[in-house]
Amino acid sequence: MIVLGTYRAGSSPLHRLPALAKVLGLIAWGIVTMIFTDPVTSLGIAAAAVLLLISVLPPLWPTVKGMAFIVIVAALAAAYQVYRGDFTMGIDIAADLVGLFSVSIAVTTSTPMGELLDLAAAAFRPFRKVIPPAIPGLMFAIMIRAIPEVATIMRQSRDAAKARGVQRSPQALMIPTATRTVGFALDLGAALHARGIGDEATEDAVPARRTRLPKPKPTQ
Amino acid sequence: MIEFKDAAVVAPDTGVPILHPTSLVLDEQRITIIGANGSGKSTLARLINGLALPVEGQVLVDGLDTRKYGSRVRRKVGFLFTDPSQQLIMPTALEDVMLSLRRSVRSKDERVKAALAALEDIGLGNKGDVSVNALSGGQRQLLALAGVLTATPTIVVADEPTTLLDLRWKAHVGALLHALPIQLVEVTHDLEAATRAQRTLVVDDGAVVFDGNPDDAVAHYRDLMYRKTVGTSA
Ligand SMILES: Nc1ncnc2c1ncn2[C@@H]1O[C@H](COP(=O)(O)OP(=O)(O)O)[C@@H](O)[C@H]1O
Ligand SMILES: [Mg+2]
Repeated sequence: MIVLGTYRAGSSPLHRLPALAKVLGLIAWGIVTMIFTDPVTSLGIAAAAVLLLISVLPPLWPTVKGMAFIVIVAALAAAYQVYRGDFTMGIDIAADLVGLFSVSIAVTTSTPMGELLDLAAAAFRPFRKVIPPAIPGLMFAIMIRAIPEVATIMRQSRDAAKARGVQRSPQALMIPTATRTVGFALDLGAALHARGIGDEATEDAVPARRTRLPKPKPTQ
Repeated sequence: MIEFKDAAVVAPDTGVPILHPTSLVLDEQRITIIGANGSGKSTLARLINGLALPVEGQVLVDGLDTRKYGSRVRRKVGFLFTDPSQQLIMPTALEDVMLSLRRSVRSKDERVKAALAALEDIGLGNKGDVSVNALSGGQRQLLALAGVLTATPTIVVADEPTTLLDLRWKAHVGALLHALPIQLVEVTHDLEAATRAQRTLVVDDGAVVFDGNPDDAVAHYRDLMYRKTVGTSA
């Protein structure tokens, strides 16, 4: 399964930019997007964002599907503003959403996960007294890991609802998705615990002894 | 050595006993645990690494109380879950193995090297940068095992590690586990695999009802299940 926004090797200008520059650029882009509220500028910024996304050559189908989704969300948000009588606000919001989504995907597609994790860890370094340095990167990684898992749970719940003829009931989708997502979170917690991750947070790190295990023989 | 001293577990909300007070000394290299669904096998297994704690009594690993020395115990005891997806924490295979090495290997380059070697050893050498979600069930279980082994445990507890796998992967993962040069406690529904041990425990209704020779244990278990289904002894 190709997940939208996962890293793809490439040689576009964005690929060659350091991760820090891209993340700072993303933040700056967000601020600029918020500042300009006139429809023409907003649309221009959004168009530039889409071009930037195309420049990193993201995987075609997941991107098209993801964009379709965000365009629908943007259209709904815009429709609400128009209904409230604020036409320009509607265009601004829709353009901002599409633009920011495109730039975020462009950044995550062109930056290896490891670099983003290191960056997250570095960003939290000033708080290392309160938050152990390993934790922010770990949190970020778990989030990335959880997204496809939750998507799978959602798809399975939808299939189950369909198989039982209750596909129109939102509860039939939402309740199993919610409970199973919590279940996944609890399981992941048990795994973190079993693998001794986060123990550093609560105890003094014991200097590791390098006991090397005889390697298991593969049995092909 | 694993030691249960009158260790008992109850359901946290209802107080219903899940494991009746149990005393065991487990020091054989190969121990299997069999029993029906819901009989308490996982609870027994999780007691060993402190994922579950006894409400009464104690569980000791090499003399360390799992309640007092949880993280030291977990450094000795690697745990393999039924569903490898549960165990894999990082987005890609390489990153997940590197996570297990974080404590023991400080330099990042060294860690990458060691993790690549571990993947190579287990037969996933070409899967380092592959998303964990894109691996097959069997490959995921191998990856989970690689993560457990790189943390250099002296005991591996595996809770139905092959239940979700097809026959080929079942045989492969089973053989890898049995080739480990360390103590293995395996919960399994594969009765044939269960007999590849020095000692087998049969768990039923929250109690160890048989403890001894693997062949006798399997016979005891079959008889027990047969009696429950038919209401009379075979
Ligand atoms: N946290 C819990 N709260 C209530 N009941 C539980 C809890 N954990 C396990 N149980 C119950 O304890 C019994 C034994 O569970 P478990 O050890 O997972 O069995 P097994 O692994 O043999 O299938 C089951 O009936 C299960 O429903
Ligand atoms: Mg179980």
